[in-house]
Amino acid sequence: MDIAETRALRADARRRWTLAMPAVTIITLFSILPLLVVVVYSFLTPGDYGNVKWIWSTEGWFQVLFQRDIFDDTVTLSDAHLTILGRSVTLSLITTLITLFLGVPTAWFIATRPARQRAFWLFLITIPFWTNLLVRTIAVQEMIRSEGLINRLLLWLGAIDAPIQMMYTNFAILVGMAYVFLPLMVLPVYAAIERFDFRLAEAGYDLYASRLYCLRKVVLPQVKAGIIAGSILVFVPSLGAYVTPRIMGGGKSMMLGNLIEMQFGQGRNWPLGAALSLALTALVLVALVWYTRLTTGERRHG
Amino acid sequence: MLEIRNLTKSFGAGATAVTALHEVAFSIAEGEFFTLLGPSGCGKTTLLRLIAGFEPPTGGALVLDGRDVAHLPPNKRPVNTVFQNYALFPHMTVAENVGFALGAQGRPRSEIAETVERMLALVQLDHLAHRKSAELSGGQQQRVALARALAPKPRILLLDEPLSALDMKLRKEMQVELKRLQQETGLTFIFVTHDQEEALTMSDRIAVMSGGRIQQIASPRDLYDHPSNSFVAGFIGESNFLDARCAGGKLFAQGAELEVDHADGPITLMVRPEHVVLGTAQGLTLRAKVETLVYFGTDTHVHLTLPDGARLVARVQNALRGGAPCAEGDTLTVSLPADALRLLPKDA
Repeated sequence: MDIAETRALRADARRRWTLAMPAVTIITLFSILPLLVVVVYSFLTPGDYGNVKWIWSTEGWFQVLFQRDIFDDTVTLSDAHLTILGRSVTLSLITTLITLFLGVPTAWFIATRPARQRAFWLFLITIPFWTNLLVRTIAVQEMIRSEGLINRLLLWLGAIDAPIQMMYTNFAILVGMAYVFLPLMVLPVYAAIERFDFRLAEAGYDLYASRLYCLRKVVLPQVKAGIIAGSILVFVPSLGAYVTPRIMGGGKSMMLGNLIEMQFGQGRNWPLGAALSLALTALVLVALVWYTRLTTGERRHG
Repeated sequence: MLEIRNLTKSFGAGATAVTALHEVAFSIAEGEFFTLLGPSGCGKTTLLRLIAGFEPPTGGALVLDGRDVAHLPPNKRPVNTVFQNYALFPHMTVAENVGFALGAQGRPRSEIAETVERMLALVQLDHLAHRKSAELSGGQQQRVALARALAPKPRILLLDEPLSALDMKLRKEMQVELKRLQQETGLTFIFVTHDQEEALTMSDRIAVMSGGRIQQIASPRDLYDHPSNSFVAGFIGESNFLDARCAGGKLFAQGAELEVDHADGPITLMVRPEHVVLGTAQGLTLRAKVETLVYFGTDTHVHLTLPDGARLVARVQNALRGGAPCAEGDTLTVSLPADALRLLPKDA
């Protein structure tokens, strides 16, 4: 390689870096730096009234999964945290399943309408986004609380004698989260189905496939990416949900988001809060890696 | 084997209903290469979709091997389709595509593998069995679509303009290939096309369709030599049309007359350009003026104007010596030979 060529290559590399600078700056300022702050805080000692003392400690990370007895210092697994982690994962998974069962048929319905009607149905799906999350959650509360619409209707019909307690249970959290996250499932699945070439289904049907076989072998593999994307879009925010479990679950059914918030509030344990949020991030990362494996691996082997 | 009885199909209802097929009736013999030919919107694809089962007919019957299948779903009919866009499953390999129908029928794995191998050999694609269908060229996709539709051994293979997406050279090759496949398998083919040349070169019989009606069903040669109306004559090959009149056993056209055996009344006279003779011959003899000469290599098209302004094209084979048969601006005698004249019903 002669000198001119080397120089040209260097200039080219420099230009690329210069062009990438704005993006790199934004990512550094708004994504990497805050994350670094959280990482640093997770290794400090909690201050007496919140905040942190600049003393190195791994206690925050230790407390994510373990607790130390205040009298004899014996170390046990932290039941409370494990319960909350288990509940968060379970409720998020169930929420994902509910939105799948409701969202896929909805997306199918919209995608199979005549092109001009689809915009209207999509519009209906996106309307809830216009309202604040808090207001939407309280609206759901209004439906299912003891003096709410459903209980009053059932009482009036004579189906029940006393109101059913639905608020402040896991059920309430599920109803709230499923309602809030449903559009996040419908939209990517709709996009996948809308792209699907229905002539392929026709071809399958022509080649002796039953409707079910056709759905399984022809339609599902084509819309799978949309379904997985929707599931991730629902599962990830469900895992860190804060407002919905707070309102619908009351103080009784806590999820990870509430636990983290508590450490920065009443708990006055910022390092633990920071460690917990990083643990949550790691959990999400694992889910995402699993997702990419699921989608790209298919293309390689199929 | 397939008998189509007064098949009618309407879309929509009430005043806005559109009838795509008007009481179409014909039958197809075992092992026949049958072509539905017509311009777009003539109802040929609708008829094919009715035979495949994608649409239910509004009226009439489709009798396949003595059984009315008109209301069976497509997966219950021993009929397979090669689609215009091929409709290969993009997430499957070539072999999986070809084996799809057998898998859907729940056949054993070994049988599927054996059939897939045989089908891919038949279309000369054995070396691509494990490629994804999206990685293939248009011609290869075409062959996979064929193998896929042939694999379950249908009674009838339907082909919906399967060659229209291919370039000219490939299309010619596939025409030969398709004909070979049809003869090798002895299968009944129903082929839809708007390309008259494709229809003429491949078919045993052709049904010319227009406006949702069958205009004529005949062998390629009969269709060309004896079109039953001016639509068929105009659609297949090139034609000259002249207004004429029959009276008392005589034909009157452009001031000339000829003895014919035809009922009295106005008619449309048709003659193919290659049958027009420059000079005198037994038949109708007319005076004409040469407007333009168009050189085509093997032949020259002579555009003529008759005394009343009607136009006539003559196609003259180019001789090795002597140059052009006439010059632009010449006035000469042309003849329409009696045996080349076709007396068609006058269009309303």
